[in-house]
Amino acid sequence: MSALRSLEALQELRGKLLHKHPPKKSRLRICMTGCRAYGAMELRESLAEQVQRAGLQDSVEIRETGCHGFCARAPVMAVDPQGWMYQQVRPEDAREIVEETLLKGRLLERLLCSHPATGERWATLEEIPFYRSQQRKVLALCGFVDPRSIESYLLHGGYRALAKVLGEMSPEAVIEEVDRAGLRGRGGAGFPTGKKWRFTRQSRGEPKYLVCNADEGDPGAFMDRAVLEGDPHSVLEGMLIGAYAMGATEGFLYVRAEYPIAVEHLQVAVSQAKELGLLGEGILGSEFSFMVHIKEGAGAFVCGEETALMASIEGRRGMPRSRPPFPAQAGLWGKPTCINNVETLANIRSIILEGAHIYASVGTESSKGTKIFSLAGKVNNTGLVEVPIGIRMREIIFQVGGGIPKGRRFKAVQMGGPSGGCVPARHLDLPVDYESLQSIGSIMGSGGMVVMDENNCMVDIARFFLSYTQSESCGKCAPCRLGTTQMLSILNRITRGEGRPRDLHRLIEIGTVVRRSSLCGLGQTCANPVLTTIAHFREEYEAHIQEKRCPAASCEQMIISACQHACPAGIDVPNYIGFIAEGRFAEAADLIRERNPFPSICGRICHHPCETKCRRGELDEPVSIRALKKFAADWYFEHMDQEPEPFPLSHTERVAVVGAGPAGLTCAYFLRKMGYPVVVLEALPVGGGMMGVAIPDFRLPKEVIQREIRYIEARGVEIHYNSPVTTQRSVEDLLKEGFQAVFLAAGAQRSQLIGIPGELEGIEGLYYGLRFLRDVKVGKKVDVGSKVAVIGGGNTALDAARTARRLGAQEVRVYYRRALEEMPVSQRELREAMEEGVSIHCLVSPTRIVHENWKVKGIECVRMRLTEADESGRRRPVPIEGSEFFAEADTVIPAVGQAPDLSFLMEDTRLERVRWGALRVNPNTLATNVPGIFAGGDLVTGPTSVIQAIGSGRRAALAIQKYLKGDPTRVQIRDEKCVEDTGAPQPPQEAAPRGRSEVPMLAPEERLRGFVEVEMGYSEQEAMEEARRCLRCDREKAPGRPC
Amino acid sequence: MEKASGSANPAESQGNLGELLEEAKGGREALIPLLQRIQERCGYVPPEYLEPVAKHLGLFPSEVQAVVSFYSQFSLTPKGRHIVRVCRGTACHVRGGKSILRVAEENLGIKEGQTREDLRYSLETVACLGTCFLAPVMMVNRNYYGKLVPPQVLSILRQYE
Repeated sequence: MSALRSLEALQELRGKLLHKHPPKKSRLRICMTGCRAYGAMELRESLAEQVQRAGLQDSVEIRETGCHGFCARAPVMAVDPQGWMYQQVRPEDAREIVEETLLKGRLLERLLCSHPATGERWATLEEIPFYRSQQRKVLALCGFVDPRSIESYLLHGGYRALAKVLGEMSPEAVIEEVDRAGLRGRGGAGFPTGKKWRFTRQSRGEPKYLVCNADEGDPGAFMDRAVLEGDPHSVLEGMLIGAYAMGATEGFLYVRAEYPIAVEHLQVAVSQAKELGLLGEGILGSEFSFMVHIKEGAGAFVCGEETALMASIEGRRGMPRSRPPFPAQAGLWGKPTCINNVETLANIRSIILEGAHIYASVGTESSKGTKIFSLAGKVNNTGLVEVPIGIRMREIIFQVGGGIPKGRRFKAVQMGGPSGGCVPARHLDLPVDYESLQSIGSIMGSGGMVVMDENNCMVDIARFFLSYTQSESCGKCAPCRLGTTQMLSILNRITRGEGRPRDLHRLIEIGTVVRRSSLCGLGQTCANPVLTTIAHFREEYEAHIQEKRCPAASCEQMIISACQHACPAGIDVPNYIGFIAEGRFAEAADLIRERNPFPSICGRICHHPCETKCRRGELDEPVSIRALKKFAADWYFEHMDQEPEPFPLSHTERVAVVGAGPAGLTCAYFLRKMGYPVVVLEALPVGGGMMGVAIPDFRLPKEVIQREIRYIEARGVEIHYNSPVTTQRSVEDLLKEGFQAVFLAAGAQRSQLIGIPGELEGIEGLYYGLRFLRDVKVGKKVDVGSKVAVIGGGNTALDAARTARRLGAQEVRVYYRRALEEMPVSQRELREAMEEGVSIHCLVSPTRIVHENWKVKGIECVRMRLTEADESGRRRPVPIEGSEFFAEADTVIPAVGQAPDLSFLMEDTRLERVRWGALRVNPNTLATNVPGIFAGGDLVTGPTSVIQAIGSGRRAALAIQKYLKGDPTRVQIRDEKCVEDTGAPQPPQEAAPRGRSEVPMLAPEERLRGFVEVEMGYSEQEAMEEARRCLRCDREKAPGRPC
Repeated sequence: MEKASGSANPAESQGNLGELLEEAKGGREALIPLLQRIQERCGYVPPEYLEPVAKHLGLFPSEVQAVVSFYSQFSLTPKGRHIVRVCRGTACHVRGGKSILRVAEENLGIKEGQTREDLRYSLETVACLGTCFLAPVMMVNRNYYGKLVPPQVLSILRQYE
């Protein structure tokens, strides 16, 4: 090809190309950039071979393109003219693609994008949810053009914007247009591009330089990489237009050397543009001359900062300098220089072609156009997304991104890399634009968006970024050099479990100084990750510093294994799983009892936070820890008929425990184990607390609770039933009776009212959830009629609904005012309830209980819609006007929550309370303000979970022991190994994915016949096999482990 | 498997220097591209090259040394035949990149930034490979290995003799 000497020649060439390359019948577009890591190269070869074999080479074009965006499903390809998107295509699929799709025009369903849960499939860009909220303008050609062919770019209208500028527009008019479009720099700071160009144009000095900053260094960002690899000419075209506008004659493309494909494609693009005369002297016959040089970075993050970048181009150490003078005044070699980001320049083309007015119709008042984000981390659809600025974060993460994998909870999204901040769940409804993000301490940044779930520790994230900026700090200015080092050493200390009380204060202090006084952007922003995580996740820092616990179970130096750390009771999970793997089942049960006296109960109803953290879950599915616990405990009771011996008594101080629920009995058990005589006072005739009266037999049979309590009694704990503590025999009286310490664990057994009209006591057919469950559990005859409405979304509500089904109700509806995914009930129980025919109605709130002659008729409800997130991060429901409806019901069961009942306390009690009425205790020792009286479990916290109550009980036992010994120090519960390593076999190093063994369950129709336990449990063989899936993370040696 | 570029033998590549110097024109701004060529050709920047390079570009050797030590791309010691790069980007970090690095260190018997005595491997970490959708990811020479779990690391490394 020869150089083009005029605008007409360019137009002519376009026509010739169209003639020379008429579109073929079919076209396969394969991503040959990011997808290369997934075997795109092999796929292309295989496709070419099959096309050849079928004799289709003349009618099928195989085009190598850039990124299609949907990197999670790499390798991806598209089939034209239908526009079908095939995903995760393997070379073996080539034959079928050729035979079915190319020859017969048939869609290959199995290669389409599908919904992970529903299996719904989508074929084209317009249909796939990942693309639906997107507006691909900058990426319009990415995935369509062949990035190594300027002809391909020209055929897609490439360099038309340049031709328009050279033919019709003065430089001032170009700047004016970019200005009116409202384009702001996409590198992060968001400075208006038109203004920057104008400054450079007006600045005195020749020559002028234009630099394209393609030193995309932010970890977690890969937008620029995709643009450079997939559509390099659009960046060159943007540079050419910019250079024309500001009068620059020389340009530099400063690219990271870590992006070899980008470097290669840019080199090809520059040489092709040169050959066509689109770069060089007198471009397209005009007076405008411009030349571009490619400079490869040499691995220094700070070179993304503009003054450091210029130093690097000049061949010096990449150290920033203070501004002013700004680069527009004195940049490269002291000459006026404009530095623009890749994405900024790639936007220019569409501004010129469609005009500022149309361009500015997308976006918000102050931020126009679209923005590309690279979505990564704990999100289903990782990849490259381009969305209008101002879109809500929630839409990006949940609609485009497809939500969080493995059903885990969203925690935060980190924007803008090491200079940015974390956006927590409660700000998910924030519009994504420069100002809004800044208002919560984050930044738009270059576009890296790393999603984090509940298993990521925010302190560790702050430490991670700081270790990055600390090592990348160039060292020129003291605040950054010393500040990052100091902050990092504090954060290291905290994540090692050696945090000190003043550490948070100090971090904020240093961070603020570094932010104010550093020389360049790196230093001015490096404290952001620390400051925003402290602002939004302070309690997580405090857990590390005060309790030496990492709630996400991620800080390696504080934990032995994630499962054990995640367990509120701290059970040595890997070792008991190891015992089961070896067939030593009784030892497994005994080991669980080292931290939890209720293995049988927890084996059935624990919500198992351990499984959420299980590392095997990263490979395929978590080990079925709960079901294994059930197996071990059941085996124990079936095979060990000998009653255990009481623990020996070694102390004389007597302790009273009020309440025989999980918290109370756990405390009693461990105090007895330490050798203290303990008496438990229980108001009811049965033990177990909430477990004994509120959890239906089909989930937790009575006998299971009884045998577990019998075991505790056999170890020496005395339980007095029907012995309420009341105003007659008060808590303070117990101290006078000679008990040296008292632990209050009376639970939260008072049902809360919904607070709507018609909710009157004594109406027939109105039954509060707890009361209902208790009456059924103790064997009272309860008639619910045929239609039952349950109000609430927790386990009590669903337990009530399932019980009602078993009592013969034909139609059981559960009404919940928020969205399904926010139901507090466990996934397992929700699934089982639905299997049993319970229907779930979300986003419905009752407004009145309708009754006639003191008999319930039904409920009036209103439908709700979701608005922005509230403080808890959940979206607030508001009523939809006019959506009211009436639902007939014979029985209405409200189960909207429980609260502690403190009526047993004397009016003039000395015990201090917090504002909402619960007792005030020291969260570490559970001590009340009255010496010797401790309180824990649901009584203090409100309803939580059994395992948390157990954890609280053990904490109380340790605290009471310290109190009785006169030891004033804090209770420090660290993870410990309870036995030597069991020596159980390790799974092979190259473990192949193998999902968990399903636990056998009763068929739904059989379940409804009565109250038989639904879950049947593993056989010995199944249990041992399941246990062998454990990866034994506890054996990995890490320096500074507590063991 | 292909070999990593570059020979570890400085004597062999000494002859190359003259050639490389000839191509490098200009002053200070030619320094980094020249060092990149040397690094590419030799696998590292042999310390004995610093003086001739400085002389050729009209700089002090200390200035060359300053640049070499500033940028992480340059190394003054020979690298292994296979360069193992573990990404420590954010996405890799939140998806368990830490344990990938730990397992690589254990299996190779070297720490990050080190080269094995038998010159079989060098272990490096990189700020971000820009392949976050593959997280956690590791690169050996020019091959990417993504969505790793620790047990896979050993079998990947074994493939590189």
